[in-house]
Amino acid sequence: MKKRVLAGFFLSLSLMLSACSGGGGTAAPADPAKPQEGQAAAAKTELVVAAEQEPVGYDPHKVPAASSVRVYALIYDSLTKLDENMNIIPNLAEKWEVAPDGKTITMFLHKGVKFHNGKDMTADDVKFTFERIMNPDTGSIAKSYFSSVESIEVKDPTTVVFKLKNADAAFIANTASAYASIVPSGSTDLTKEAIGTGPFKMEKAEPGQYVLLKKNPDYFNKDVPKVETIKFQIMKDEAERLAAIRSGKIDISVVSADSAKLLEGKPGVQVKNYQSLEYSYLGINVNKKPFDNPKVREAISYAVDRNQIVQTVWKGEAALTGPIAPAITNWAVDTATYPTYKTDVEKAKQLLAEAGFPNGFDTQIETAATYPDMVETAQVIQQQLKAIGINAKINQLEWGNYIEVWKSKDMNLMVGRNTSGVDADRSMRFFFSTTGSANVWNYSNPAYDELVAKALATVDQAERKKLYEQAQTMLVADAPNLFLASPKNYYAVRDNIDFTPTAAGEVYSLIKTAIK
Amino acid sequence: MGSYLIKRVASLIPILFGISVLVFTILHLVPGDPASIMLGTNATPEAIAALHKSMGLDQPLITQYFHWIGGMLQGNFGVSVHSGEEILPQIIKRFLITLQLTVFGVLIGWALAIPFGILSAIRAHSKTDIIVRVATLLGISVPNFAIGTLLLLGLSLYFNWFPPIDVVSFWENPVEAFKVFILPAVTMGIVVAAGVMRMTRSAFLETMDKDFIRTARAKGNSQWTIVIGHAFRNSSIPIVTIAGMQIGYLLGGSVIVEQLFSIPGLGQYILEGIYQRDYPVVQGGVLFVALVFVLVNLLIDLIYTWIDPRIKY
Repeated sequence: MKKRVLAGFFLSLSLMLSACSGGGGTAAPADPAKPQEGQAAAAKTELVVAAEQEPVGYDPHKVPAASSVRVYALIYDSLTKLDENMNIIPNLAEKWEVAPDGKTITMFLHKGVKFHNGKDMTADDVKFTFERIMNPDTGSIAKSYFSSVESIEVKDPTTVVFKLKNADAAFIANTASAYASIVPSGSTDLTKEAIGTGPFKMEKAEPGQYVLLKKNPDYFNKDVPKVETIKFQIMKDEAERLAAIRSGKIDISVVSADSAKLLEGKPGVQVKNYQSLEYSYLGINVNKKPFDNPKVREAISYAVDRNQIVQTVWKGEAALTGPIAPAITNWAVDTATYPTYKTDVEKAKQLLAEAGFPNGFDTQIETAATYPDMVETAQVIQQQLKAIGINAKINQLEWGNYIEVWKSKDMNLMVGRNTSGVDADRSMRFFFSTTGSANVWNYSNPAYDELVAKALATVDQAERKKLYEQAQTMLVADAPNLFLASPKNYYAVRDNIDFTPTAAGEVYSLIKTAIK
Repeated sequence: MGSYLIKRVASLIPILFGISVLVFTILHLVPGDPASIMLGTNATPEAIAALHKSMGLDQPLITQYFHWIGGMLQGNFGVSVHSGEEILPQIIKRFLITLQLTVFGVLIGWALAIPFGILSAIRAHSKTDIIVRVATLLGISVPNFAIGTLLLLGLSLYFNWFPPIDVVSFWENPVEAFKVFILPAVTMGIVVAAGVMRMTRSAFLETMDKDFIRTARAKGNSQWTIVIGHAFRNSSIPIVTIAGMQIGYLLGGSVIVEQLFSIPGLGQYILEGIYQRDYPVVQGGVLFVALVFVLVNLLIDLIYTWIDPRIKY
């Protein structure tokens, strides 16, 4: 009875709606940006991507927010980029040479590349870009990527030479970052206009509604892009995104693992996933009592069942991870080699007793209320720690507040998520060396520092890999963080869209996306 | 009347000044700042410092306040610390969207509430009354995000109908705008209706017991004449009061409805500003909403004098 009433209500509403849309209830993908004047529905040339967050600006050197990167990385190019196997491939630089001592890197630029305003892209623009990134007033987070740069020389319009203070094996990988996008020399305020060399041009940004990008017909790679326009439609609510993708209003949307399950087998939509570069962690402040005692940290590491986190929080759709996410196959270590990954409650209790806490203790886990997975991870860990007598109170913080606590270096335990950099250096030095910017755990181990510094200065990649394996093993044993799970990311894609997401990032896939 | 208006408008100044101090203080007391939120856990201390400098957040708080309020007095709302865009044009643009949504939602709400409210008052304790009261209780109890989500999913799954994703104004394209706003307006309208309906019912119940209604009946007037001609105007003060308050709230942006249906209204703008700690956006936005709220209240007070000539200012 109730169902009939409800159906009747929807029926009358939809009749009313279709009456005023002058046709059937199904919506043809109209293109409001280009009203089609009286012609029959032309072939679809616009790709509509749901943006779950509104971009907060398009200056690649100032705005690290993912909501902005996914847009400006289509407008700008960097010197190098990554393929789906995490290998560095040419982009604006068609090749490069590293001197035997690793201190001179010569980049040879693609000829005939033009900015969207018609100006040629030359070595001067590259020099200007890197100087802008390195200027402290810019406030670029990529500044720390290029701290080894001593000077930049323009040899000729298509050759640029980077002189380094010390050998820096991560340098080339860091030039693949969207934060190192090449901008026209002389740019001052990139918030006003975005002029890059990329496959798409900024056409229109309607705050709160959408960002429209138009194909760059002069893009230096003639094979791409394959669509005329890309529209990032701002839709902050997951339920709305699901309804929109099912009714064909949008073509591509990021969805949660739960929604992915709901969409499985629904007509018109495919769900695609890939192993992300992110991993979740439990951060431990090694300055705070009792966590300054390595035995306590080891006990926690034995007590936490990482597999249970994979099953409960990520419904099995995540991989165990060490300090470097498993998707980065070149650097990650097989987690089976870590002894503490085999949960052992008895051993954990014994270690706690040896450390002087036979009855456990009380503590607190900070987590971000904004991200349900972080809250759930904290809850699972809370239960697991209870088994060895540690009573942890969970503190759910709003994101801005969470960042403050993270910065304070004064937390006890904290659940969070990191993204592994493409090069091992970032995951290792930035997060855990004594002077690392993101080392908020007060972890300081001279042996570790020496190891990662040596790895950074080692040009021979096989040798480097060995050093990083040692460093990862050391980190897991010292446990300033427990590395938990690296989830899969999900996309819902309409059937007629040829889009394959990979760990190389959304932009890499969007450039090649075609409408069937 | 004229002097009353001048007094009322003059009293706006201390109110708005107080609100400006309050908003500024609360906002800056909240932990988190725009630079570290923007940089997240990738932040380096020097990047934060550079951003603070470019956002003007390295100044002492009192300097920041006077700098902002000084600009406001000249009608300069400043720029967003994140996007660098002018705030005032954004506020006006989004307010107009919220205004359309509110008017539409309130009209739907009233169209439901007033006739049914009257009906349930003049047939108190009948079956009709019970049904209306239960419906009202549902309207008040079911949260609007649940109603909105059900509408959206129900229509898109069973009828493959989804509202247009680009928001247009009624004066640009009324048909398209109707399609854009109908679902959020119905969602809003249901909540509005529930409140107005209860008030209408109780106001009418009270009026229908009055002596003058008995006199009107004794003269042999029909029920219809009594309700419309005698009871309606005498019951409308409390109805107008609650309606005015609702409009005031809704014009501040019905945040949940705007978020759910991706309507780029004022509420969504301020909410996003709060998340990002975009101080000038939130300060300017809240002050604007406060001004609107106070003006709506003033308008309601003026409507009283028209409803009931005995009210004099």
